[in-house]
This record gives sequence, structure tokens and C-alpha cells, in this order.
Amino acid sequence: MAQRAVWLISHEPGTPLGGTVRFSRRYPTVEKRAKVFNGTSYVPIPEDGPFLKSLLFELRLLDEDRDFTESRDSCSRINKTSVYGLKVGGEELWPVVAFLKNGIVYACVPLVEQTLSPRPALISISAVSQGFELLFGIQDFLYSSQRIDTELNTKLSQLPDLLLQACPFGTLLDANLQNSLDSISFASVTHPQKQPAWKAGTYKGKPQVSISITEKVKSMQYDKQDIADTWQVVGTVTCKCDLEGIMPNVTISLSLPTNGSPLQDILVHPCVTSLDSAILTSSSLDAMDDSAFSGPYKFPFTPPLESFNLCYYTSQVPVPPILGFYQMKEEEVQLKITVNLKLHESVKNNFEFCEAHIPFYNRGPITHVEYKVSFGQLEVFREKSLLIWIIGQKFPKSMEISLSGTVTFGAKSHEKQPFDHICIGGTAYLKLHFRILDYTLTGCYADQHSVQVFASGKPKISTHRKLISSDYYIWNSKAPAPVTYGSLLL
Amino acid sequence: MGLLSREAWAQRLGAFRASPSAYMAAPEGEDLGRDLLSDLRSEKLSEQTKVSMLALSLEYPAQLWPDAPAAEAAATSLLDTLALLPPRPSALRRPLLLAATTALVTGGVLGPTSGASLRLLPLLLGLASGGDLGRRFGPSSDQRPLQATACECLRELESCKPGLLGGCLGLLRGLLGQEGPVAPVQPLSLLLALALRNTLVIQARARASLQGLLTVRAPPPGGGPWNWTLAQEGEAHLQPQAPSWPAAEEECGLSALEPSPEEARELRAAVAQLLDTSYLLTPVAQAQLLWLLGWALRGLRGQPPVLFKPQLVRLLGTAQLALLHAVLALKAAFGEALFTAQDEALLLRRLTLAAQHPALPLPAHLFYLHCLLSFPENCPLGPAGEEAAPLLLEPQLCRGLLPNLLHDPMALLARLHLLCLLCAEDEQKEEKGQAQSPCHYLQELLAGLQQRAALTGGPRALATLCFQASYLVALCLAGHHTVLAPLTHGLAQLYRARPALAPHFVDLLDRVAPELGEPLRVVLRQEVVSRPGGGEALRWHLQMLAKVADRDAQSATLGFLQAAAAHCTDWGLQQALLRVCRALLRAGVGGGLADLLQALARQLEDPDGRDHARLYYVLLSHLSGPKLGVALGPSLAAPALTSSLVAENQGFATALMVQEAPAPIRLSVGRQRAEGPVPVLQLQVEVLEPVYSLELRFRVEGQLYAPLGAVHVPCLCPGRPARPLLLPLQPRRPAPAQLDIRALYTKSTGLTCYTHLPPLPVKFADLFLPFPKLPEGARLGFFEELWDSCLPKGTESRLCCPLGPQGLEALVSRHLEPFVVVARPPTSYHIAIRLPPDSKLLLRLEAAQADGVPVVLRADDWAVLPHVGDYLRGLSAAV
Repeated sequence: MAQRAVWLISHEPGTPLGGTVRFSRRYPTVEKRAKVFNGTSYVPIPEDGPFLKSLLFELRLLDEDRDFTESRDSCSRINKTSVYGLKVGGEELWPVVAFLKNGIVYACVPLVEQTLSPRPALISISAVSQGFELLFGIQDFLYSSQRIDTELNTKLSQLPDLLLQACPFGTLLDANLQNSLDSISFASVTHPQKQPAWKAGTYKGKPQVSISITEKVKSMQYDKQDIADTWQVVGTVTCKCDLEGIMPNVTISLSLPTNGSPLQDILVHPCVTSLDSAILTSSSLDAMDDSAFSGPYKFPFTPPLESFNLCYYTSQVPVPPILGFYQMKEEEVQLKITVNLKLHESVKNNFEFCEAHIPFYNRGPITHVEYKVSFGQLEVFREKSLLIWIIGQKFPKSMEISLSGTVTFGAKSHEKQPFDHICIGGTAYLKLHFRILDYTLTGCYADQHSVQVFASGKPKISTHRKLISSDYYIWNSKAPAPVTYGSLLL
Repeated sequence: MGLLSREAWAQRLGAFRASPSAYMAAPEGEDLGRDLLSDLRSEKLSEQTKVSMLALSLEYPAQLWPDAPAAEAAATSLLDTLALLPPRPSALRRPLLLAATTALVTGGVLGPTSGASLRLLPLLLGLASGGDLGRRFGPSSDQRPLQATACECLRELESCKPGLLGGCLGLLRGLLGQEGPVAPVQPLSLLLALALRNTLVIQARARASLQGLLTVRAPPPGGGPWNWTLAQEGEAHLQPQAPSWPAAEEECGLSALEPSPEEARELRAAVAQLLDTSYLLTPVAQAQLLWLLGWALRGLRGQPPVLFKPQLVRLLGTAQLALLHAVLALKAAFGEALFTAQDEALLLRRLTLAAQHPALPLPAHLFYLHCLLSFPENCPLGPAGEEAAPLLLEPQLCRGLLPNLLHDPMALLARLHLLCLLCAEDEQKEEKGQAQSPCHYLQELLAGLQQRAALTGGPRALATLCFQASYLVALCLAGHHTVLAPLTHGLAQLYRARPALAPHFVDLLDRVAPELGEPLRVVLRQEVVSRPGGGEALRWHLQMLAKVADRDAQSATLGFLQAAAAHCTDWGLQQALLRVCRALLRAGVGGGLADLLQALARQLEDPDGRDHARLYYVLLSHLSGPKLGVALGPSLAAPALTSSLVAENQGFATALMVQEAPAPIRLSVGRQRAEGPVPVLQLQVEVLEPVYSLELRFRVEGQLYAPLGAVHVPCLCPGRPARPLLLPLQPRRPAPAQLDIRALYTKSTGLTCYTHLPPLPVKFADLFLPFPKLPEGARLGFFEELWDSCLPKGTESRLCCPLGPQGLEALVSRHLEPFVVVARPPTSYHIAIRLPPDSKLLLRLEAAQADGVPVVLRADDWAVLPHVGDYLRGLSAAV
């Protein structure tokens, strides 16, 4: 269940090495076990330099993919998980768990407590999921607040001490590194009662509970006869409970209005102590019917100190909040575009912002635009080959707005204009960006009165809601568009 | 080296980390370990610096203290440093404990003979139990973290030396159950679970009982010596061990352990105690606990896994990777005993959900998808170890897991695999609505991938993805023509659009089975040869053609090459062109190719290319087809070189030269025929592998016989009886001889081989020939005439031939029958033998007496007498 080594590597495209090892940690006692367990199939952990080179090559992060290289490009080298075999010094180091996120490659080598030949299935290796948790934990720690480079450096410099706490011998004790950081400062507190390991200390101060529900809506709209539009809501309920006592109990209920859309695919935080089976089984995998469980969704839990995601859910609302079509046609040297957007009457018409981004890929810079908008204004980013239609805070009374125009492009120069491998020929999309505060599409809300807190003092309870768009695409209906399997099931 | 400043240490540690091996190889590396230990006690260095020094020792102990004595000394020094710390809070205590533990383990010195071990273990156990020792050891504020650290150190020691804490199980249980100011739950729980698991395994292997280990609470620290017995048994077992996965069922062997009812109750209580407080552990630690307990209880009699049941619902609701993975481990370990069919279905649904839940990151999705295809089913149908869709995973459930073009490459491939599995099932069932069928969707997807790969200037990764997908489809759906036909067509279109992908096509053709490979080869060849030979893509076309050209469509291929030759102006293109010619030569293309090669031998600009074309032409006109194939086949010695020349030279060397090889041929001398004008040896030949054009060459030492002609056999196959080979002998003197034999033959691979066979003896009797048969009445006279003619030039001898049990008659009929002239059985035989070139041997055999058969012999050449003597003695031995 232990890790043999862990690395953080910043990916620096264009530099001679392609990246730098920002942090690495080896666990020699685990290595000692690996030698015994793996027997003749044992491959030692390489030094940072060779590891960096081999990993970046395997992840295709080196800039040298001009020529076909069999060891990387061969069709039979298929990776279906973030677990790799790295060629190091003529041998293959496996399994290496690795992924790239925000320019940093997170990597570790889980211990396999058996021989590596034949390779055991990943599912049978306990250290693989532990390795993922460690890397996710480090990632959360590095990016838990706003990303500023200096702050990242500070956090990176804290890592050696933190891992000494959270993973002293390669066996992960806590993936929540922030908690480990806190436990250093809480160390002097004495504990008369059993203290959860995931809670470094106790809170002292005014009791308060804050609950915020954020829903993201994504959509793929085609405006075609044979392809169904799809949309989905993904909700996240975030809590911060400042309550005294070691194990305060809290129950939060999420409710829906009578016409609300049932919550499905609910995943909860490990601090939730019990779950109604209706919550566990409510799933988008099943065909929807009226008998779907529609709440209230009760979550009893013992909160950790820090802000945490109490649960995630998805929901299938009956209509997308904004329905639109996008028609784009190539007419000699110019493109003719027509866009129509309609806000559904049930949606709160009060946006923090609402914009439609219309990018043109694989073309030259925009040289000329003629357009007409029924509402809002259009901004042209010539070099980026991008139009942004700023719709603003409200749709007009008719709830329907339109844009039409023609766009002319200059000669294509490869470096500057955006390349895209989906938007080939007439295939194109516009993407909606919007945010509505104090609103959820499902109608889901946390009633202040339904929050039960079993702790000393009456806490102040605050609730927040918002809806944001995410991957909200409207595809050009005059050309082929990428479809999901679901879209074909009309 | 003297005391270093903080900066100097920072620099030194940095230099070491940059490349430990280089640093240690340099002179400054020598003292690092020693300096580090001594400077840890320096009062001038800050704690922070010392922590970073200790951190280094935690990572590289083997480099700092490479052998066991050094490790032991280092651990001792670290423990001394720890003891010398002033009694105020210090950040050094934890890392010092960790470092001492690490040094002992990696140095391999942990054991009853190590002084440092005997100091460290009681110290750790004392700290972990939070007793007086801990209070003496440091200020109270350090107590709790030290207690946890001591547990972690003990856990690491137990991991590396299973059984070490076998004697402390009762103590640990007591600590965990303590009321009031309590020890930290998580480190104790994990330590107890690990020690419990190890103890069970060791005791089961030793076929011993638990011996009350779970209940004895007498703590060894302080006074009594450490109990190493279990650890010493355990040591032999720190070997590749299988996790609680079903494939390893047999190796578990816990069933050998038969706890008494009381022990079983205690064990259950211990496990329940651990599980009950498991919610106090961090999610990753909970997962570890479940794995350990699953390991511990699997296969153990009288321990129903229902203890785990109360935890499952809580765990199934989370999105935590480690927790869901641990549940799968329990599923694999206990199967139906813990998961009913409904539970299994629910778990599968949660897994399916987790594999696509938008709130989870991509690596988690991919891992869950892997788990889904390796799902430990209650009733698995397919072969173990192969990825397959579980039975309960209905296509309906997979809808959201199917790939589309917007997916990341890895996600696309993983989901594509699932889609292929569904298609394979779908095909088995009835065809449903065309548009919705997974196969139809698969085709659309592949078409999309091909379209993207066709983008000129697009990243190679997109092309690679398209070929990976094609490979995966060909692998999973090998027999599905409805999928493979459009795939072939689509790939051909892709080649038309972007010939620069030729290396990918070659790679694909190298790896896919013939179901896709053969039709693809044909369409690609058509694709290439139907173009005018020229243009930028020529080198790709030539590369492609070298892979796909064969005997079919020869004229079109040759036409293309003829046209292309004019455009092959540089060395690289000429090489590519010649490679195609070579491929055609191998495929056995004849006539038209000769013309082309002749033209190339004149026309190519590069002299090397011309020479080569000429060489090919010569080969084509002089070598038979199979031989040519081998001559030009890929050389084993030089598999992949850009220049065809080197590879070829290797190939020629092996193919055109005669190889010396161990013989697959066995020769033996058959029965002699004794007729005709000269003696003829009958050779029996057997082969171990097919042999063609066999030529056997014989030589006789000392010119006893006239030179022997070679024997030719066109073809011999193992197991097929061959007719005997006849080898006429022309002796110059009547004497036995040794035949020296060499064989030259061609193997089925076309290689010509040469071998020296073991020599064969020509026995004296092999040379015997009879005199012509005469009418009955004339025989005696004839014999007497011969008898008389031998003397005085020749010689007469009398000897007694010892006789076996069968008697004279048998002896004669078996060995001398053809040569008998006058027979009066059973008392007298007159025998006349011709010995080429012109000698004779006459024998009179009389009725057997007590000591054998009296033989009178005459020969006209006294030199044969010794051979005759040998022969007659041999006869008696043979009978």
C-alpha cells in the first residue's frame, strides 16, 4: 500500500529538457520491500534526471514528435489509464502513476507486493489508488487557493515537511495535506476524547455553518433532426462548519421545489455517516420516470475543520436554460453566420454575466466583419479569430435574441491563429459563458431551518446558490458535429 | 571535513540531490554520511537545517551508509543524538526516530544481534503506549505526535520484518480500547491491523495456533527481552505475496489456521474493534485498514465477513478512489459471502457511475473504467485475467461510457475498448435498429478519428490515436467483417489524404492480425500504384509499397516503379525504390522485374544504387525462388537499418554461403545384398527435419577402395521411410574400411548447409560376393578345383570356430547362405566367397565338436587371413 517514490515536475515546453523536477521524495524502506516482493522483475527507481526524461517522453510532453517513433507512436502501445511503464536504462519501470494538470506532472511509483512478471492487473494493486490519492492530495494542496506563481513556490517549499507528516514512510496517512499542515500547529492540544485523524484540532469561536450549492450546466446543441441535443446539470455542495467540540454532528437536507428535477448520481464526502438507500440508488443510468426520489436529501455528517465538498450530484432538467442555433456557411471568401438564442421562461433572467464566444479555427485572422445584433454588443478579436457577443445581465422581454453577419479572413499563418482538430471545414461551435447568482437550475436549495446541528451554541447558518455554464456548446447545424452516443438515441 | 555552516550544508545537500550517484562518486561524497551524523549535534546549526539533513538521510540511507556496520553505527549515533536533545520541544525528535528506523531497515541490520535495534524497539513501543517512558523522553507537548510517529515507525518495521510485533497484539488492542486520554486512533489501528494480518499469515504457514497472542497484554518493553521468534519465522515469508485477489486464492493458505472457539471470538472482537472506530481514520487510512483486514480474514475459518457489512453502505456512497478500491478488494476477497447478487449489482452501478461522474478527475475515471472491466464478479464467465465487460453491466448502463471525439486520447481508447466489447456482444445477439447499434456508432467514431488524423500539419498524437483505435478494434473484433470492412476502406482514404502517415500504416500492418492486415494491404497497394510515380509523397509511397507489394497486381506495381524511377534523384529515394524491388524479389515476382532492374542498373544516378540493382538482377536470374526469399529476407543480425545494404549483406552472407551445421541426418548400413559384380553397400537414411537436395560424399582412408561416387537425394522428410541408398564399392584390396561422410543439403528455410557425419564402417563381410551358381552335379568339382588352385600361392589355415547353441546349420543359414557351394547338412558345408577385386576365400566347415566347429580355410591372398579370423570369431559371438 506504499509508494516507492513521488515526483512533481513542471512541464516547460520549449526548454531543452522539457521540464524540471520541482520536488521528489524516495522511500528506501519501501524500496527494500520492492526488491524482495518483485524478485527478479525488480527495477530500481532511477535518479531524477533519467526519470524526468523518460516520463516526459512517455507522456508525449517533449517537443520532438515530428517523426514517427515506434516506442511512442506504435499503434499497439495503448494506455487506457494514467499508469505507465517507463523505459529506464533498458528496463521498464512499472507501474508509474502520472498525470499532467495545470502544467505540473504529478507522478509516483506504487509498491507492488508480488512479482511483476506477469504484470498483475492494476485493480489488484492496493498502492495504485493510494498513489492517486497522494497525487490528488498534493494537487489540491497546491491549487487550493488562487494560483499565483510565488504562492505555488511557497507551497512547493512546504511539501518536504508536509510529506514527512502525511507520508513519512511512503504509506499515505492523510491525503488532505492542509490537514497535516494544521496538525503541526495544533500539536500541543491534549485530547480527552477520541479525535478523528482527519481533524487536526478543534474550532474555538462563534459557531457558524455555511452551505453553498454550485450548479454547472453543460450542453451540446445541434439543431438537427437526427441528433438529439443533450444537457446536464452537475451540482457541488460545499460546506464550512465552524463548530465547537471534537465531533459535532450536523445534518443538512437538500430540498427541491415541487417541479424540481431529482438529484442523481450522488457522491458524498467520507465524513457523511449514513446514507438513505434512495440516495444511493438514484442514478442517471436508469431511464427517468415519475417515481424518481425527489428528496429531501439528508446528509448526516461530522464535519472536518476545513471547507469541504459535502456532495456532488447530477440532474437531468427538462429543458436547457438557453436554447439556440448556430448556422455558419462558407460563401466564397467569407463566412456567413446566424445565431439565435432563447432563454427559457422558467430561468431567472438576471445574469451576473452572459456571453457567447464564437471562435473560428484553422483560418487566418479576421480582416472584416459586418454584423447585426438584436441585443447586446459584439466584440471582435481579429488576431485570435474570435467574436464575443456580450449579452449582458438580462435577455430582452421576448427572451429571444439573434446575431447575423459575415466574417472575412486573411491568410493563415500557423503560429498565431488557433488550431483545432475538431473544427475542420464547416464544423464549428459557439460556446456560452454565463453565471446566475442565487439560483439553481434544479431548484435545489438547503433550507436554513432544516439544518440540524448537535453542538453547543446555536450556529449562524448561511446558504448560497449559483448556476454557471460549463462546456455549453451550440454547434453549427450546417455541418457535421461531434456527437455522443446519447445524442443518437432519439 | 570540519563543521559546516548552514549555507554550506544547503549547498551540499542540493549538490547531492542533483545527482546522488555522481556526488557519491566524487571525493566529497566520502565523508557525507559521517559529517551529517556529527553535525546533527552541532549547536550552531538551526533545527531547520538539521531537519533537511535528516530528510536526506530518510531518502538516501543506502548511499550515506552503504553497509550493515555503517548503518548500525548510524542508527546508534541517531539514537544518541535523540537522547542528548535538551528537554524542550524540538522538531528533531520525529525525524530522528524516522531516520533511525530507516537506517536499520535499509542497512538490513534489524535483528536480535543489533544493539541499535535493541535500543530502538523498546523506545518505540514505550512511546507508542504513551507510558512513563514517553514522559521522560520529552516535553508533554511533543507526546502526542511522538506517540503517532512511534506507531508509524513500528508499522514500518513490522512491514519490513513481518511478525516483529506478533508478541504485542494484546498490548496494542489494550491501547486502542483505552478510555480517557487516549492514544491516537489511526496509527494504532493501522499498526494493530498490520501486526494482526502478519501474525495470522505466519502462524498459518507454521501451522501453529494463535497461542493466545491476541490476549496477552504483558508489555515487553523496559525489562524483558524482545520476542523475535515470530519475526524470524516471518522473515522467510517476506516474499512475493499475492494480495487478496481471487486469482491468488490457493496461495493464501489461511485455512490452515484453526483457531479455537475462544481465539476465534477474540479475533472477531479485535476486527470489530478496528472496524467500529474506522470512521475516525482518514479515508486513505480506512482503505488501508480494509485491505489489511480483508487480507487477514480471507480464507480464515469461522470468521464470516459480515463484520464488514455495516461499513459498506457508507463506503459505497463516497467518491473516494481509495475507498471504492478497497471495497472492490473486499468483493474480490469474499465474493458472495459478503456481496449478494443485489449488492454486486449496486456496486457495479456505483462503479459505472464513478467512471463517468463529471465531478471526478480524468485519472479517476480511467481507473474506475479499468476496475469495471476487471470487476471481480461473483460468477465470472470469461477467462480470468482478461479484461471483459461484467455480465451484469447491461449495454443500457454503459451508454454514458461510450467514447466520442471530444474525449482525451486515453479516455477515448479506454471507452473504445468497452464499445468494442459491446459490439462483440451485440453482433452475437440479433441486429437491432441500425442507427443505434454500437457497431454503427463505432464506425462513425472511427471515421471521425480518421478525418482528424488526415489533417495536414495536425499533431502526430492525433494520427497515433487513430491507429491505436484501429489496432484496438482489429484486436477486439477480429472476426467482425461488418466493422473491419469499413475500417479498411476508411484507412485507405486516410492514406490517400495523408501519405505522410505511411510509417503508421507500416506499423499497423506489422501488428494486426490478417483479418484486417490482408485486405488493408490490398487496398493500400491499389492506393499507391494507381498514382503517377512522382511528387512529394513519393518517398511515403515507396515506403508503403515496400510493405504491401507482392505477387498480385505485378504489372501495376512495376508500372508505378518504372514511372517513379525517373523521380528518384537522391540516394534516399533510390534506396526506397530498391527496397520495393527487394520486396518484390522476395515475393517471387519474375519477368517484368528483371527488366526494371536492368533499367535501374543503367539509369540510376548513384553508383551504389546501380550496383545494387545489378546485384538484384543477378540474384533474380541465378537463384531459385525459395533461395532468393531467404537471401533477401530480414537478417536476424541486423533487424532494422535504414540502408538496405548492410541488412542485405548480412542476409546474403548467411543465405549464399554454405553454413556448417549440426546434422539433422542419420546414416546406417543396412543388410548386405551379396549379388552383382561389385559389393554394394545399402545405406539407411533418416532425417530429423525436411532436407532437400541432399548430396552425400564418401571417402575411404588409405586408398583401400577406388574413389566413391556421391549419392544424391532430392528430398527427405522426417517420418517418411526412404528407400535405401546404394553405394557401390570398388575395393582395391579386400579389406574392411571406414567411410568418411560429408553431407551438403538445403534446409526448408533455403539455407544451404554442410555437415560432417559420423564415419561408417565397411565390414569385411560387406565385401563378400558369391560365385556363379552351377548345376547341382558340377558343384563339388568346381569347389575342389578352387580349393586346389589356392595353393601354393595362397595359404591354408585351420581353426576352431566356437559355436553358439543354435548349431552349425543356423550359423550357415544366417551368415553364409549365399556362398554355400556344397552342403551336407548338418555335418559338412563347402563355402566359396569372392573377394573383389580378385581374391577368393574357401571354407570347409565340419560337424560341430565339443569346442566348436572345425574350419579349414584357404585363401589365395594371405593378407586376408587376419580379417577372416576376426570375421569367424565375430560370427560365433553374433550367433
